[in-house]
This record gives sequence, C-alpha cells and structure tokens, in this order.
Amino acid sequence: MLDDRYHVDTSPDLLTFEFVSVGPKGNITKVVRYTEINIKGFYNLGFGDKDPITGYLRDLTVTNNSDSQKVLSTVASTLYAFTANYPNATIIATGSTEARTRLYRMGITNNLTDIEKDFVILGLTEKTWEPFRKNIKYGAFLVRKKL
Amino acid sequence: METKKKKTVKKKLPKDFKINPSLGDNYAEQPLFKDKVDRANHILKTVGLPNFEATNKKSTAHN
Repeated sequence: MLDDRYHVDTSPDLLTFEFVSVGPKGNITKVVRYTEINIKGFYNLGFGDKDPITGYLRDLTVTNNSDSQKVLSTVASTLYAFTANYPNATIIATGSTEARTRLYRMGITNNLTDIEKDFVILGLTEKTWEPFRKNIKYGAFLVRKKL
Repeated sequence: METKKKKTVKKKLPKDFKINPSLGDNYAEQPLFKDKVDRANHILKTVGLPNFEATNKKSTAHN
C-alpha cells in the first residue's frame, strides 16, 4: 500500500509533514498536520495544499494532479510516523468536503486488510462510532494504533 | 570531573522521511485547519467518545 509514495519532510515534533505532489498540474506542496484538540490525546488530521504565492494552506482545493493514490499513500505513511512517536494518540479525520470524505473512505476500504494489521479504525454513522465496514457511508473516522 | 552526556532523542521515522527543523516554524503563525479542528471538537462533544476496546472486540469477532 505504502510503497509508492512521496519523500516527506517532518517537523522535529512529528506533528507537521510536508511533501511535493508531482504531476501534470506541476509541483504542489502538500501539508499534513496533526493538531491536538480539546480532548487530551485526540488529534485532528488536517491535510491541504500550500498556496505558492501566499504560503497559506487550503484544504478545499481540488488539485487533480493525477496522483491521488500516491498522495493518499503518503498521507497514510505520515500516520505511521506520527503514531510511532505518539503511540497512545487517537486520530480523527474528516474530509473537508463530502467528496474528500468519500475519497478517504475508498482509500481505507481498498487497504483495509493492511490497515487493520496495525490500527483500529472506527467510522461515524449518524449516531455513533462503529468498527469500519466496507460500503457504509461515514462522516468521520477515528484511528488508533494497536498496542 | 563529571562529564555530561549529550542526550539524543532518536525519532522513529519510516524510510524516505527527513526531519526539517524549520518546518514547524513555517506554519507557526497559521491556525492550521481550524475549521476541521472545530468540527472534530464538535463531533466528539455531540457524539461522544468511542469505546475502542469494545468495538475492537466486536470487529475481531466479525473476522
């Protein structure tokens, strides 16, 4: 799953990751950021493009750089790096749009066997958290490393 | 004379990962992905926290 991915730079605290997507639309810097939220030990997974002019990050951009699988694999690899250093962290991921949430769901579905070797993954239905199942529409995901 | 040993903290990194000391500073002034952080807080406040142990057992039982 994670073999075809981009080189990644990380901050010393392993909370911020940066890599460059290369494709027909050019070189686009992507940033993944794990931010601790109000509940101790829970981190939001933020992911977006760096604006080449302002340097600000945008998570609503649709890049279409023909490398979505490679980008998803790279984001997943940051999860391994992050949880290796924060083994008790729980990560919450929500797509910034419904399409992006669907993309996350497809990425998890296509690699569920591999992911479940190392992580427990839950999906949010309308009312509650449940173990991730294929072909179910979820609004958010929770991930925790198996200890 | 006592000599102090320099402490080095070795990070666990996958291959193709490199630590860039300036990276954290680059985004220090931006409230990164604030909307998503707010949404995550809202979800966990309204839906509640999961019981990972119970759901994991349930998941294992399914397999």
